[in-house]
Amino acid sequence: MNRLHFHSIRGKALAIVDAILHTEEVATAGEAFGAIRLVVEELVMNIADYAYPDGYNDYLDVEIERDETYITLRFRDGGVPFNPLEQTPPDISLPMEERRIGGLGLLIVIKMMDAVTYEYTDGENVLTVKSKIENL
Amino acid sequence: MGKDFEVRKEGSVLTVVLGNELAAANAPALMEELMPYKDQDIERVVFDTTKLTLLSSSGVRIIIYCRQKLSGRPEIVFVNCNKGVLDVLDIVGLCPFITFETR
Repeated sequence: MNRLHFHSIRGKALAIVDAILHTEEVATAGEAFGAIRLVVEELVMNIADYAYPDGYNDYLDVEIERDETYITLRFRDGGVPFNPLEQTPPDISLPMEERRIGGLGLLIVIKMMDAVTYEYTDGENVLTVKSKIENL
Repeated sequence: MGKDFEVRKEGSVLTVVLGNELAAANAPALMEELMPYKDQDIERVVFDTTKLTLLSSSGVRIIIYCRQKLSGRPEIVFVNCNKGVLDVLDIVGLCPFITFETR
């Protein structure tokens, strides 16, 4: 397992995304890389922008695991409790001119991954995403 | 990331030639470049996505912005859209509202 720790994350989302994408587990994920790249951006942007409204003691831990079939990424932050799986999804049947902007990133995450789970434990949001990878 | 897109206006058609990605790293810069066209009468916004491989929600917001905020409620056109980008547009439910062209 690869563990990454980031602190003072506000304004550093792009650098954090870059660091995650350059781990060996992600960089060599083959055809799954595109979906993982997208999902990592959506999640890290959300956490960096919204998890710590007061901006104090902000951190993000990312654990990355690979086996022959799946790559799993676990995001831990100590920000305000937020369960992305309990949010009302955006109404994607509306024409573009009636659309609201919010919620699209989480929708992409949920649809692109094979599994997404959330728990709030020990004062942390723990979001785990899992994607099937091709046998390399 | 350097500027990896090009915006040009010919008559009432605004063409946006995109690079490899339209995501958090470059979407704000493109949004800024589109602002001056807000009050101009645009009938079509043509996104040339020949090189585009990554479209995130930051990029999707730009597409919605063009439809909602540009004067004239322009038709949104995607040229040479690849499958990965199409998958994202499908997830966010925009495919029925976009004209897809292959050139």
